[in-house]
Amino acid sequence: MLLKGKNSVITGCLQGIGKATLETFANNGSNVWACAQAPNDDFEAFCKELAQRNDVWIKPIYFDLLDQDQMKAALKIISSDKLPIHSLVNIAGMTKDAIFHMIPMDQMKMIFEVNFFSQMYITQYITKLMVRQKGGSVINISSISALDGSYGQLSYSASKAALIGATKTLSAELADKGVRVNAIAPGVIATDMNKIVPENIIAGHVKKMSIKRLGNSFEVSNAILYLASDLSAYVTGQVLRIDGGIK
Amino acid sequence: MTTTEQYNQVFCETFEIEESKLVGLKYQSVQLWDSIGHMSLVAALEDAFDIMMETDDIIDLSSYEK
Repeated sequence: MLLKGKNSVITGCLQGIGKATLETFANNGSNVWACAQAPNDDFEAFCKELAQRNDVWIKPIYFDLLDQDQMKAALKIISSDKLPIHSLVNIAGMTKDAIFHMIPMDQMKMIFEVNFFSQMYITQYITKLMVRQKGGSVINISSISALDGSYGQLSYSASKAALIGATKTLSAELADKGVRVNAIAPGVIATDMNKIVPENIIAGHVKKMSIKRLGNSFEVSNAILYLASDLSAYVTGQVLRIDGGIK
Repeated sequence: MTTTEQYNQVFCETFEIEESKLVGLKYQSVQLWDSIGHMSLVAALEDAFDIMMETDDIIDLSSYEK
């Protein structure tokens, strides 16, 4: 139980890597403020069962990443619990694929708003609390597309690259205050986000991997768990690829 | 202690200055009020008054009077 007695904020909990991370953290003893976009009965039932099974609390918190007032209200709910926050996992994100010359600027700005600026808003708030408690771990979910580029995903890869730059800068600014900041760069993971990708594209990706299959969300959440736990106490400013050895 | 006294105490303790120096005190006008000192001031104010300051307010807090 790597996170026994700890409290974590996780965004994007409704599906994919976020949901797997929620489950992994709860299975490892962490209480969680589980952030998602909108109220959902199935999600609430999932949180309740997970919390009971692991004897932790899981508090669903809902807000739209495009609405700063909603984010502010949600963060106030979290801080009003007056509990230490041991980790923040910024997972929520979106993509809208298009080749560069066919991307409307409004769409690019929206993707940056969701994938980068909203994450920075949340991180600014939560790390202020972490600095006061003199410790914490922030894990930003970037993407291999931020490191390698990805045809038809300029907005997504650029916004995820911005997260990496922020990770490295924040790790330098917050280290002496006891806060570590790292990033994960998942490869091609079997999630709802990738279900819409044509099979031939997926096959092309798999061909370039050393481990010739898509990753699963728990293979990413286990890496997030490592970075949230004391096992990574000497790790900060790093980007960990979870990509099956893709070239 | 009144609110004003609490406020003054935070400034005096954070920047290690006498109360007589508070009027007209501005960001970067004393050695300890640099960006690091500014965040220490914010943390101390938040603790003293049990508040959470917004980033815009943190940036706007450029003088004792503000």
